[in-house]
Amino acid sequence: MARLHAEKRVLLADVAGDSIRAMSGSMVAYQGKVEFKHAGMGGGGGFRAALKQKVAGESLTLMECTGQGRVHLAYQAQDVTVIGIENDTLTVESEHILAVTPGLTLDVQFAGLRGMTSGQGLATTKVSGTGQLGIVSDGPLIGLEVVPGQPLVVDPDAYVAGLGQLQMSLVSGVTWRSLVGDGSGEPFSLRFEGHGRVYVQPAER
Amino acid sequence: MTFEQVNSKVIRVAVSPQGAVLARRGAMLGYSGQVTFRPIAGQGQGVGGMVGAAMSGESNKMMATEGSGSVLYGYRGLYVTVLQLTGDSLVVEADRLLAHDAHLQTSIEMVGQGGVRSAVRGAVTGQGLFTTRIGGQGWVALLSHGGTFPIQLAGDTVGVDPQAYVAHTGALQVDLKSSVGVRDLVGRGSGEALQLHVSGHGTVHVQASEEKVK
Amino acid sequence: MIGGIDSPTYDASTLPADDNVNPYAFSIALAGEWFVSKGAMIAYYGQVEFAGVSQYASRASWVAARFSSPLYVQDWVVATGQGKVLVADRGYDINSYDLDEGNLTIKQTNLLGFQTSLELKQSIVPGFVTLLGTGKFLASSNGPVIFVEPPFRADPESLLGWADCPSPSQHYDHNWMAQSFMSGLQGAFGRESGEERQYDFTGAGTILLQSSEATRVDAAMLRTIESQTNLLDNQSAGALGQRLVARAQRQ
Repeated sequence: MARLHAEKRVLLADVAGDSIRAMSGSMVAYQGKVEFKHAGMGGGGGFRAALKQKVAGESLTLMECTGQGRVHLAYQAQDVTVIGIENDTLTVESEHILAVTPGLTLDVQFAGLRGMTSGQGLATTKVSGTGQLGIVSDGPLIGLEVVPGQPLVVDPDAYVAGLGQLQMSLVSGVTWRSLVGDGSGEPFSLRFEGHGRVYVQPAER
Repeated sequence: MTFEQVNSKVIRVAVSPQGAVLARRGAMLGYSGQVTFRPIAGQGQGVGGMVGAAMSGESNKMMATEGSGSVLYGYRGLYVTVLQLTGDSLVVEADRLLAHDAHLQTSIEMVGQGGVRSAVRGAVTGQGLFTTRIGGQGWVALLSHGGTFPIQLAGDTVGVDPQAYVAHTGALQVDLKSSVGVRDLVGRGSGEALQLHVSGHGTVHVQASEEKVK
Repeated sequence: MIGGIDSPTYDASTLPADDNVNPYAFSIALAGEWFVSKGAMIAYYGQVEFAGVSQYASRASWVAARFSSPLYVQDWVVATGQGKVLVADRGYDINSYDLDEGNLTIKQTNLLGFQTSLELKQSIVPGFVTLLGTGKFLASSNGPVIFVEPPFRADPESLLGWADCPSPSQHYDHNWMAQSFMSGLQGAFGRESGEERQYDFTGAGTILLQSSEATRVDAAMLRTIESQTNLLDNQSAGALGQRLVARAQRQ
């Protein structure tokens, strides 16, 4: 059965006659007999997937690694975390997904300030089912708890993942780098309320 | 004389009249003492060598550090791996060579020759697989994104992304292979169309990133 | 069930107060005001408001006295309120410095925030600012900061800052320039490699270095140089313009 484990900045994926899906172009080395082929977006086929492809752009393109052996996966020397998911759902910023084992389904969603066409926003992916997920982050992840009465505001460029019963809203603010000029412009921040946990990285995408 | 690791991205080297250092141009971060820097033309047999410049097709990126003092080297925030050579030789992608003792012997080598090279020349030269072979006894410092990790080979084969390859030691055969038909290179593939197949006995040093050093 | 993420988790009360969360992130315990570089914040809890520096100065006159750098004013905000504010910069190391009736000069693009008890002034060295007084400030570095003492010559790109010593002078390596000219390299470069010119530090004090970085665009640098072109007459300015266009086309 396909297994993932992290070793510093490398994700080791062992395949045993089956396959895993990984970020396209993320193979740095492999041993054994493994084949790589384009696997499209995470969200399946059809018209709905094509529409998501359009709005989410190139944020999540996957390849299928099939065979018998070990694949070393990495992305820009970023930190690697392997997450075990058992009948649960995790939301991840799409660009951070490095690999998934069979048994997990991916569903790309788009949260934008002015609808899906502005291009300003986040392409997040809901990962659900049972299996392992490998994600990358620029620096070690920092977990931030959200409880009722204690909302959290996050720079969209630092947001990596979220779990639990979270309501996310987009608020405009004067804070982030995207803002040009002095006090004008329409940058936005992510505001989380409810009960759950948000993971951020110490860097802006 | 040793190459002292100051942190993951910077080394400190004591330079003396008996021990000059060759380093990549632009890699000097600062120095104390009486030290001079001199660009060198041509890759070669130690300081001032001229062999191989034409072969690499571009001007040499190295300079000589001479005199006596203490010099800090680093390059654009990249990670530095320090290796000590004890008579064996190391092959490193030319752009990833940060510094080495000037008395070490160097020569230009092209890895992955033949194979698909004739078929997809453009793609291959774009991958820039010019390497420098370094031999003798002394210190070498390599550049990588995020550090290197070794893969040991004992008669088996490993496939390596040409952009993640940093260096290798030992008796290894390196071939550039296309994992798919040339036709697939045009459209959207898996991103793994070209691979280095390394086989034999030795160690390959790979980085956890597909970024080249410019 | 979700497992395997072993990163430490915090909430508003357990985040450090004016201390590092890890080497790459710092948690400001905000109770009043801080000057913060735009884009340095990655998250916050609490009642926090942000206003542009000049906007805030129109309400609070002390701001203009503290933030004495018109060149950088549009790159900074004033954070006001009560809460915890997380600051980070490209995954770089974040260091906090405590000044006690002191002064330290630092590269402007690496300065992320400072307490309002400190005063900011532009350094005579382009791209650097000086902080004076008593208080805390935050700065990033590519890898840990390396501290060295004069006499020392530093590559301008790896120089992060200096304290207690005189401003540097420029040292030109004539040997390097003669050699590179002879071998025809000067033209091939089109730019400095860092070996022909260094900042020369003498006297007593401390110099701060980092591994040279793939420099972040310093918007203020363009403004600085542009304002200096006023020194040129029209003919010279035209010649400069042509050279810049030629350079842009080469790249």
